[in-house]
Amino acid sequence: MERSFAKEIESLRLGDGDIFRGEGILAVTKAILQSGVSYVGGYQGAPVSHLVDVLVQAQDMLDDLGIHLETCTNEASAAALLGASIHYPARGCVTWKAIVGTNVASDALSNLASPGVAGGALIVVGEDYGEGASVIQERSHAYAMKSSIWLLDPRPDLPMITRCVEEGFELSEATNTPVMLELRIRACHVTGEFPAKNNKPAKVSRNSRLPGPAAFNYDRLAHPPATFMQEKLKLEQRLPAARKFILERGLNETMPGDLSEIGIVVQGGLYNALNRALMNLGLADAFGNSRVPTLVLNVTYPLVPEQLVQFCTGKRAVLMVEEGSPDYIEQALHTALRRADVNTRVHGKGMLPAAGEYSIEALTRGLLAFVKTEQPQIDVSAADAAFNGALENRKTAQTLIGTNLPLRPPTFCTGCPERPVFTAIKLVEREIGKVHVAADIGCHALATFAPFSLGHSILGYGMSLASAAGVGPLMNTRSLAIMGDGGFWHNGVLSGVASAMFNRGDGVLVVMQNGYTSATGVQYIPSSAGNRVDGLASGSDIETTVKALGVKWVKRIRSYSLGTMRETLRDALTTTTKGLKIILAEGECQLARQRRLRSDEAKALKSGERVLRTRFGIDDAVCTGDHSCIRLSGCPSLTIKPNPDPLRTDPVASVNSGCVGCGHCGEVAHAAVLCPSFYKTEIVHNPGWWDRFSDRLHRAVIGWLGGSKAAPAPMPAAGE
Amino acid sequence: MNQTRPLCILIAAMGGEGGGVLTGWIVDAAERAGYPVQSTSIPGVAQRTGATTYYIEIWPEKTTQRPVMCLNPMPGQVDVMIASEFVEAGRAIANGFVSPDRTLLIASTHRIFAVAEKSAMGDGRYDTGKLFRAAKDHARHTILFDMDQAAKDAGSILNAVLLGALAGSGTLPLDAAAFEDGIRTEGKAVESNLAGFRFGLSHGQNEIEARADVLSSLPPAAAMPALADRIARLPMAVQKFAAEGIKRLVDYQGVAYARLYLDRLDTVAKLGDEALANETARHLALRMSFEDVIRVAQLKLKPERFAAIEREQRVKPGQPYTVAEFLKPGVEEIASLLPPAMARSVIALCERRGWTEKLHLAMTVQSNRIGGYLKLRMLAGLRGWRPRSARYAEEQARIEDWLDLIRRAAALNLHLAREIVDCARLIKGYGDTFKRGAGNFERIRDRVILPALEHRLSTTAATDALVQARTAALADPDGQSLGNMLGDFEASLRPAVPQAAE
Repeated sequence: MERSFAKEIESLRLGDGDIFRGEGILAVTKAILQSGVSYVGGYQGAPVSHLVDVLVQAQDMLDDLGIHLETCTNEASAAALLGASIHYPARGCVTWKAIVGTNVASDALSNLASPGVAGGALIVVGEDYGEGASVIQERSHAYAMKSSIWLLDPRPDLPMITRCVEEGFELSEATNTPVMLELRIRACHVTGEFPAKNNKPAKVSRNSRLPGPAAFNYDRLAHPPATFMQEKLKLEQRLPAARKFILERGLNETMPGDLSEIGIVVQGGLYNALNRALMNLGLADAFGNSRVPTLVLNVTYPLVPEQLVQFCTGKRAVLMVEEGSPDYIEQALHTALRRADVNTRVHGKGMLPAAGEYSIEALTRGLLAFVKTEQPQIDVSAADAAFNGALENRKTAQTLIGTNLPLRPPTFCTGCPERPVFTAIKLVEREIGKVHVAADIGCHALATFAPFSLGHSILGYGMSLASAAGVGPLMNTRSLAIMGDGGFWHNGVLSGVASAMFNRGDGVLVVMQNGYTSATGVQYIPSSAGNRVDGLASGSDIETTVKALGVKWVKRIRSYSLGTMRETLRDALTTTTKGLKIILAEGECQLARQRRLRSDEAKALKSGERVLRTRFGIDDAVCTGDHSCIRLSGCPSLTIKPNPDPLRTDPVASVNSGCVGCGHCGEVAHAAVLCPSFYKTEIVHNPGWWDRFSDRLHRAVIGWLGGSKAAPAPMPAAGE
Repeated sequence: MNQTRPLCILIAAMGGEGGGVLTGWIVDAAERAGYPVQSTSIPGVAQRTGATTYYIEIWPEKTTQRPVMCLNPMPGQVDVMIASEFVEAGRAIANGFVSPDRTLLIASTHRIFAVAEKSAMGDGRYDTGKLFRAAKDHARHTILFDMDQAAKDAGSILNAVLLGALAGSGTLPLDAAAFEDGIRTEGKAVESNLAGFRFGLSHGQNEIEARADVLSSLPPAAAMPALADRIARLPMAVQKFAAEGIKRLVDYQGVAYARLYLDRLDTVAKLGDEALANETARHLALRMSFEDVIRVAQLKLKPERFAAIEREQRVKPGQPYTVAEFLKPGVEEIASLLPPAMARSVIALCERRGWTEKLHLAMTVQSNRIGGYLKLRMLAGLRGWRPRSARYAEEQARIEDWLDLIRRAAALNLHLAREIVDCARLIKGYGDTFKRGAGNFERIRDRVILPALEHRLSTTAATDALVQARTAALADPDGQSLGNMLGDFEASLRPAVPQAAE
């Protein structure tokens, strides 16, 4: 919330005649504003967090347009928000991360798709798939098919992406069906440009309200027998209407090519990579002029059988380029051709990998196989040699470098208030033995990496306590569930806490109260100290909430107080008191805190105010290079350096300049009885007369006693 | 068909380093010059320090028609590989993104250690030596130097130096001015970033080899005339460590103690093996300057220590500051300052009552404030008392035992003796760390060294086992690997007894 999107907001104000330049997800945001939406909502998650984040800071622009913005507490509430479009001619757009968000939203999605919509309903899902993904790899396609939601997968090019947003609303209205737009993670962050249009105020908006509710209509409820009629509507009216719209608007693109005996059918999102792979074979240029006819599916559901048949007719073979599994499109293509009695061979999975991201490398390999099989007269030996040469080069490099390059998984930020909790868990495990740790989604999941390696399972966002419900009763020792405050409000409060109370659960739950959903880029949650609407706290407090649910054993501990945290954890895990035990580990997200503090501190320093700056350090001479401190912390600013002692060889621990002085090092040294090499300095900037006087006094007396006068060494003129 | 291909730039960085800023600068410069450009990334949002990449394609011709550009790199088709850290450069090479016919590799040679490297119980640092070779072998051209240091010198961020190196390389159709304009337009820390940029620019045009970490040269032989003579009589190779050793021990306890060090060293030196004597000189000095409460107080009060703190923490002349020490000696550590008989009864009492693990004297002492200074000075002043303490007696016995093992082993096999010397590196630290290390040494002594010395085990088998045992002891803090290793080793020695049924 502290990050400023001022620059991004400026580009959302562009109008007719301007050229928009920026990232994919921001272009989507702009296209939404150009589409005359009445309301927008969503739940944060990479890679679509920006959509809502930017709009949150563009409140005055939304006010001008009369757009309502809802920052939802989870994806289910975001999906349910689209209920506004069932009866009213209001366009709405919501966003979340797929596949996990769609899972959470699916109840509302089913019951939205069934009655259908009057106003255009668009769902923008960020596909966290492939390299850098943080969730399991499943296909949004399955949701589109099962619920009859149309699925757009545009070419990763801003004009096409924004066109799909705008025409997505139209498609939704023309077919009374919600539309889902999927964007892969790299497409969300791809930069590009498109000609902007003026933002459009909606017919129905906060500035132009509906006079009253729609007439009662049983047919719009998701209840039998209305649902039987809705099921028929989906298949008999909406589906044909969608196919007609797709054809009429030319949403899928046919690219010509002179090698008419073969063809390629490709998901829009993979088009750019496919074109590069064709270039590698000498079959295309960088401007998309290809020798192989290509059908680009910017709409991947529904498919238009006539279009597929027409494209394939007269061809010896086509290659179906479809990422992910199962191969829904490939199966549908087979069915369409069989039904039309067209005997074109279909290659797909097999020549292309069954699993994994369709990188240019994977596509080049597949295309080489396809061309060699179906067009052997084309000489691809040069492409083959170049491709294999590159792979050979990689192999020799790997042999030379070896397989032991240190991995670098993400870790807690310097000063993160969640780190000390895991240190405390490690220390308690030394005393009472290992415990089952149910991990959750959020920054705290980083404790599953070294040096903590804590966490047995991750079942979903806010699901840790629920996932430990079956473990606890089967084990002699109590289990420990970890949850963030984001996960708590997302659904942990009900699926975890209420359920544990209901079932007399006897586990321990640690809720990390850092005040935001931090892993998604620091957004406000119901228990934040602020709220985007009026800056005030929402008034929803976790302690009060769990007490109201009947939890008796609740402890609120400052997470940096390692000793107290250790005692409390030990007590919670070993006490004879039955029932759910909740520890609220409090400490503000350091990322948010530093953003605020840094500017405050810079201002204070400039205006001559007294500022105390705390840093930690390690005495080289005292450190023996065992690194226990690192194994209990993993702080990025706690690192190692060559041992300056000529007699020792193991590197010594060292605190680098990134230290924010959170104090965890000192707490660990004390709580774990490590070694006396840690020290803390407090340096006074803009000292007052008392600081100067007492400093001089201490220096003088210590000097007189024969100690170091600590006469400061001359400093280079480096600025503060 | 147009044969032109885009210029592909891959940037490997760590989350939170601002790789996006560097990407932005490059994109901005290309746009400014009128070349179609596209970038993309997989940012880790708030997930810090994990490895990540940014990818840019620049169309090398000025055109208004936008080419189809890609969102991920292809092995063998990267023109410029930029890495903000050396192991990340290695990762890029291993992933095939650096190729001899095409790729310019721009990388900073400094290291940011990964958690696995930092948390090893001894030295877990990845050996970057082979990365230099891999970089030379696999890149068309390299620009490698410590850009972190360069950035610090210039007061800029590392990305500015990387950008400068890229501009200086002349690989892109963009001149330095285009990049500089980008930095100015962005408007953040303009002057310092331009300084960093220019530094990188000049290096990009004129490669400078990375400097390897050279161990600081040893100080001149100790200034103890009486002892200097004796050092001179030691083999040349041993003199450096011996000189360092007596310097340390004179400071630690006194001249007589340093003399004892030389007496002990002589008994090993006269066995005639220089390598053995050299390593013994090193470890013996460390073992004899064992860490106790007195030693810690001594070290904490050294004037050069305060000078170092002021340098590291950037304290300005005359600026008030305090240094707080985190000390938490356990009851054992305190009791071990008593005479042996007394210490034994106190420790026995504590153990009976279960206090040993629980009783610690937690102190936060401000060592540059009068009260804290006096406390530490009182402790450091116990130096004269130290030889009467229980810990001293214990340590001397341990050291004599170790030397005895070395000498006995040397009579059988020099390799074995050298390995025994090296086992001393297991014994270090304070409190639990010390106990664990000393315990591990005892286990190795009883189960490998003694059997070898008593001819129950061949010296070659024992030598191999010692190397493995040392690695195992440093593999985990629970002693599990060592336990497994010793168990397996002993099992391998038992003659296989044929089963009656067979």
